[in-house]
Amino acid sequence: MSQPTAPGPRLLASYIPVSAGPWLSEADQVFDAGTIFDYIDGAGEVYRSYNMRHLVARRFHKDGRPDIVVDAFDMGSAADAFGVFTHDLDGEDAAIGQGSTYKAGLLSFWKDRYFLSVYAEEETAETKRQLLELGRTIAAAIPGTGEKPGLLKLLPEEGLEAGRVRFFHNHSVLNYHFFVAADDILRLAQTSDAVFADYRESGGRSRLLVVAYADPPAAAKAGESFARAYMPDARQGAGMSTGNRQWTAFRVRGRFVAVVFDVASEAGARARLDAVERLIDGNKRGE
Amino acid sequence: MSRSTITRRDFLKVASVAPLAGALAPALARPAAAENKVRVVLVRDPSPLGPGGAPPADVVQKMLDDGVRALLGETDIGKAWRTLIRPDDTVGIKTNVWRYIPTTTEVEQALKKRVMDAGVPGDRIGIDDRGVLRNPVFQKATALINARPLRSHHWSGVGSLIKNYIMFTPQPAAWHGDTCADLAKIWDLPEVKGKTRLNVLVMFTPLFHGVGPHHYAKEYTWEYKGLILSLDPVAADATGLRILLAKHKEFFGDDRPLQMNPHHIQLADTRHHLGVSDPARIELVKLGWSEGLLI
Repeated sequence: MSQPTAPGPRLLASYIPVSAGPWLSEADQVFDAGTIFDYIDGAGEVYRSYNMRHLVARRFHKDGRPDIVVDAFDMGSAADAFGVFTHDLDGEDAAIGQGSTYKAGLLSFWKDRYFLSVYAEEETAETKRQLLELGRTIAAAIPGTGEKPGLLKLLPEEGLEAGRVRFFHNHSVLNYHFFVAADDILRLAQTSDAVFADYRESGGRSRLLVVAYADPPAAAKAGESFARAYMPDARQGAGMSTGNRQWTAFRVRGRFVAVVFDVASEAGARARLDAVERLIDGNKRGE
Repeated sequence: MSRSTITRRDFLKVASVAPLAGALAPALARPAAAENKVRVVLVRDPSPLGPGGAPPADVVQKMLDDGVRALLGETDIGKAWRTLIRPDDTVGIKTNVWRYIPTTTEVEQALKKRVMDAGVPGDRIGIDDRGVLRNPVFQKATALINARPLRSHHWSGVGSLIKNYIMFTPQPAAWHGDTCADLAKIWDLPEVKGKTRLNVLVMFTPLFHGVGPHHYAKEYTWEYKGLILSLDPVAADATGLRILLAKHKEFFGDDRPLQMNPHHIQLADTRHHLGVSDPARIELVKLGWSEGLLI
């Protein structure tokens, strides 16, 4: 479970060891959402979009070997730690924390309210071993675990690619995963929660987006906006064949909007939305 | 919300005729303009790169000189520079200090040498990146030279010449909206407006894909060993982007888009009229090493 009080950077720093094999750490740098650009340039917007609280950056140095950098983010909630982890899911599962990937000298994982990036400035067999060891040590030091966002429960299981689920809040991040429109036609805001998932489809891959808005009127407005901009000739719930000869459809249900993209048939699009609707209704009864 | 927004459906229509539609669709939809083309010079040299990621200083100087001569159509390098810089100018060389792929000292010093050769004393030449607003030379600058590497960028799509002026704003993050769509407006600020005499896009080791918070992995760089020069930052960026996209496609083997849409380059042309992004309106002059040119 997440800890009841907001932990500070000092606690987060305590989870990171002071050495990593022969690499020794330098002084920590601490950043918050206002100062993160001093450290990672415009890429800081990604972490801000997930409501980051602070970042502890610790660099490890060993003469003659690539530096190793640990960037430990307190995201404020397990949902956002999970979310920022899902921003980049490429790589092999490193079985660290509550979800992890390793690729090209970068280990990423999340645990509790924290997201960790453990990175070697150049990948070698030695740095890969060291990164994984460092990651395991940090994950073991973080005492809690966190819950994934409840919105994931609205994803129908049939055909779902479990390793391709992303959670986020805003329009720019949606477009990063899947370009929908230059403008924010779904009226996403920092207060909305969204989940975007890949589904296996005959001959390809389809997508499902489910957005939770503050209330039903906000969802209704978003649905109207999406329909007007993206598929003005289709009625809600009906599919529309897009330029790639696949089907897009959307539905508004309560405070949720669900959109399917690139489904192979109109019937398939409708069936996926029906399944989401059943999960929304079932979830309501369970609340 | 009006129907005029560009949606995925629009891209899908264009993609059937244009493989780089994700980045260039609006330009492709326009007919080539009749006015004169904007010149962009790409100069490359196969010399080995040093530990800092640049060719040897004398090679960089020659690349720069060859590029400026070709850009301005002037064989005498001194005369060429005197058309760019006056002896009474105060010159800021806006560089980029990003840890993994900086502008490089070799490029900075090659530029500074030619500015001094044009008659500007060293104490009226500044080289800076993040401190430009506090730098007294930049505060008095009458001329700017814009020099930075091209790289994939986790928010703006690419780190570009257009973007390099973001440090002239007191709050750079204020320009991050819609993934930096309107960066070209920075060029209207009094600190920079009308002052840029030369743009140099450094292509020694471009980054075409990024990972993690630092958006860097050496395996997504390659030794292109080039410089792109233009008086038009948009044309230089658009040309560099074409090369980056070609490498991206070669590496991944498909037409996947960059991680973020670099639409600020397109919009610098179509929305803000800072320069030209349409390849049909760019005269590309290629000099030097041609292996792996990608364009």
